Amino acid sequence: MTDPRDNVQQEFLAEAQELVEALSRDLLLLDEAHHRGERIDPALVNEIFRSVHTLKGIAGMFGYKHVGAVAHALEDLLDDLRLGRTAVGQNLLDILFDSVERFQSLLTLEDPQSPQEEAGVQQYIAAIRSVGIEEEVEEGDPIDKYAIDQAVLAVLTEYEEHRLRACIREGLRLYRLRASFDLMTIDDSIEALREQVQEEVEIITYLPSMEGGNEDTIELVVLLAARVSEEELKAEFEGRYGLIEAIAEQTHLPTLPPRRTSIPVLSMRPPSEDDGGQASLRSVADSVRVDIRKLDHLMSVVGELALVRSAVNRIVDRFKHDVTHRQSTMDLDRIGRGLERQLLELRTGILDVRMVPLGQVFNKLARIVRQSAREDDKQVRLVVTGANTEVDKLIVEELTDPLMHLVRNAVDHGIESPEARLQANKREEGTLALNAYHKGSNVVIEVEDDGGGMNAHLLRDEAIERGLLTVEASQELSRQEMLDLVFLPGLSTRSEVTDMSGRGVGMDVVKTNILRLGGMISIASEQGTGTKITVTLPITLAIIRALIVTVAARTFAFPITAVREAIPYMPNEVHTIHGRNVITLRGETLAICDLGQLFDLRKPGDREGKFVVVGSMGNRKLGFVVDELIGQEDVIIKSLGKSLSSVRGFAGATDLGDQKVALMLDAPALFTEYFEGPDVFRGLESRP
Amino acid sequence: MSAAQKATLAPEPDSDTGAVAVLGVRVGNEAYGVPLASVREILVPPPMTEVPRAANHFLGVISVRGEIITVIDLAKLLNLEVVNDEPHGRVLLVDNGQELIGVAVHRVIQVYRLEPRQIEYASVMSADLSDYVVGVGRVQDHSTGGADDVLILIDPVSLLGE
Repeated sequence: MTDPRDNVQQEFLAEAQELVEALSRDLLLLDEAHHRGERIDPALVNEIFRSVHTLKGIAGMFGYKHVGAVAHALEDLLDDLRLGRTAVGQNLLDILFDSVERFQSLLTLEDPQSPQEEAGVQQYIAAIRSVGIEEEVEEGDPIDKYAIDQAVLAVLTEYEEHRLRACIREGLRLYRLRASFDLMTIDDSIEALREQVQEEVEIITYLPSMEGGNEDTIELVVLLAARVSEEELKAEFEGRYGLIEAIAEQTHLPTLPPRRTSIPVLSMRPPSEDDGGQASLRSVADSVRVDIRKLDHLMSVVGELALVRSAVNRIVDRFKHDVTHRQSTMDLDRIGRGLERQLLELRTGILDVRMVPLGQVFNKLARIVRQSAREDDKQVRLVVTGANTEVDKLIVEELTDPLMHLVRNAVDHGIESPEARLQANKREEGTLALNAYHKGSNVVIEVEDDGGGMNAHLLRDEAIERGLLTVEASQELSRQEMLDLVFLPGLSTRSEVTDMSGRGVGMDVVKTNILRLGGMISIASEQGTGTKITVTLPITLAIIRALIVTVAARTFAFPITAVREAIPYMPNEVHTIHGRNVITLRGETLAICDLGQLFDLRKPGDREGKFVVVGSMGNRKLGFVVDELIGQEDVIIKSLGKSLSSVRGFAGATDLGDQKVALMLDAPALFTEYFEGPDVFRGLESRP
Repeated sequence: MSAAQKATLAPEPDSDTGAVAVLGVRVGNEAYGVPLASVREILVPPPMTEVPRAANHFLGVISVRGEIITVIDLAKLLNLEVVNDEPHGRVLLVDNGQELIGVAVHRVIQVYRLEPRQIEYASVMSADLSDYVVGVGRVQDHSTGGADDVLILIDPVSLLGE
């Protein structure tokens, strides 16, 4: 078993990661509000403060010195922000966004105390400190305009005072609400009040009034700042809570008594930052973190139970015709069926636990969009739909890099500069849409921009120049086929070329990664209008739909995502072009490859296959000759052991039940081997 | 699961004599010994699925309670002459420290307890032995009526089968 300290460490890292992700999400909201010139929601600033505060706390406990130090400095800065000592500005936002990356790299350090990091961390902390003192709070205290009870003013916390000031500056009107609360339920009632008023009304503070109330109730004076008129406020509150009265503006300035005199401390604590810890504890209590290996283990237990089920089945079969045990056999059969149903449910349940929303990835992408747009001086509005779409955890992890690449390409090469957009009669601000949705047993993710689109002819010319395409072949290409050239390895490697073609480097890598996940990628682009890249993925890697076939009496499974169709095989229709066997399918030439020969399974004189399974990978198609089609099945893929990891052509194996194992074909590898591999045609050349 | 640490011919911890428990198996005409600590299970061979393109000594893969296990043919791995393709009678599930691997043998003989004096290590023998062999054990084979027999001791860690 693992060292318990490791477990604790893992727990810490997982929690820290979640905090940093929450921080990143909230910063994006803050950034958005700032850019639209909207009011900054104080709750959001508080949330950010809490994340950093909690991170500081746990980093300290686990000896993550640098993380703790950075968090500490940020906490001070955020505190200033919360209390209105500084305002949200571009500098401050940049520093805050930097912190996300910084935390992430500090959390991955082998040695959390590493002295090498010291200088960088100190420099960053100095940068944080320098932001804090930049912006000054304006002169003249607006609170003085209102006739607020001195007793109330005297007990306001610094934060409450800041909010009061901010609300007055924003032109909100102040009101006093007198309401009675039941002592037993006071916390819930105040919470309910807060929830109800959120949008239009802000609760500055509440204090017990000196009069009113009895043993079971307490009368509070609630200081409110509201955007709505007195009438509306009265309609909303008076019936339910109590009396509303507007606080008059003063005509003459009062002489201010010193604040923070020692007024007797009231037994009820006003809301303060200390509540933060509890709130965050509550929010994590209804979810647990699970090591995915534990789920894999549970899955194999389900597998074992399935074997128990088939053992029961066999017993039922054995006694079926035995009259003496008829009743018991029927009972056993019924129990067996019940077991099977529950097992299915268990399996579905476990798969469900593996699912996580794509929102996690999308948040990362949002950060990339922001960063790239800033670097390129472009204006990009990100529109996200379907962030709740759930996908297998393992897929989400593998998906992050390719999607980051696509998003960065879209901003760097797709969306034009504001000037170019204006000239093209477009809005200055480009739009990048990230859409996710389920489609059958797949999840579809679209990355769509309204940028300049791709130049198909430039792509074609570039492919010819690089010797990836002959001039003759290029003449037959449709526009779509020209666009698909972007996925060719070695095409888009020079940035200036791809700038013109509208897409960046490394699309072939993106494609390979997507294919490896059993997915597909396609591209649609109109010059001048924009580009849409569609990625289709299986929802889970654990269970995939497969086409089961036999070749020379062995069973193989094709991932269904790679199969276009299956057709009867007619050996007499085979032609040979450049030593490759091809057939004609609906007017198109289709290369074929006999799996029996590819795997050296056929002996001379064996009968030939009867079907061609037409596989497709992106724009390539290849027919695999097989003997029989058994049918489609949902299968659980297990990897082949370490000893067999060097054997090419198989993505794993699956138990088809009754201990019969079928090898899962690795379609991308077989395609690569056929079209690019040097020693592929061993089997084919030996054909007569 | 820490059989990996035991997967050499380490003495059994409970023994004050330093004796080692070894599972004796027959492969071809020879008797081999596998440290009992590394043997997880002995199976009647389940249906085997051969893996095309894998090296000759891989028999294929089997499914053991849903897990896919690679099976190696000990006779082929050790380059033994086997008369007319004698079927494999048992598959041992052996922990070689990295994965659970199936080792196909012709027959399981019995468990032996080897005292230190019964073991000769390869390092002190001049014979040209295969990498998979750590030494030999001298045992009394009950099936042959008490005569001294030689058990070739296999190092499970070497059974990576690459």
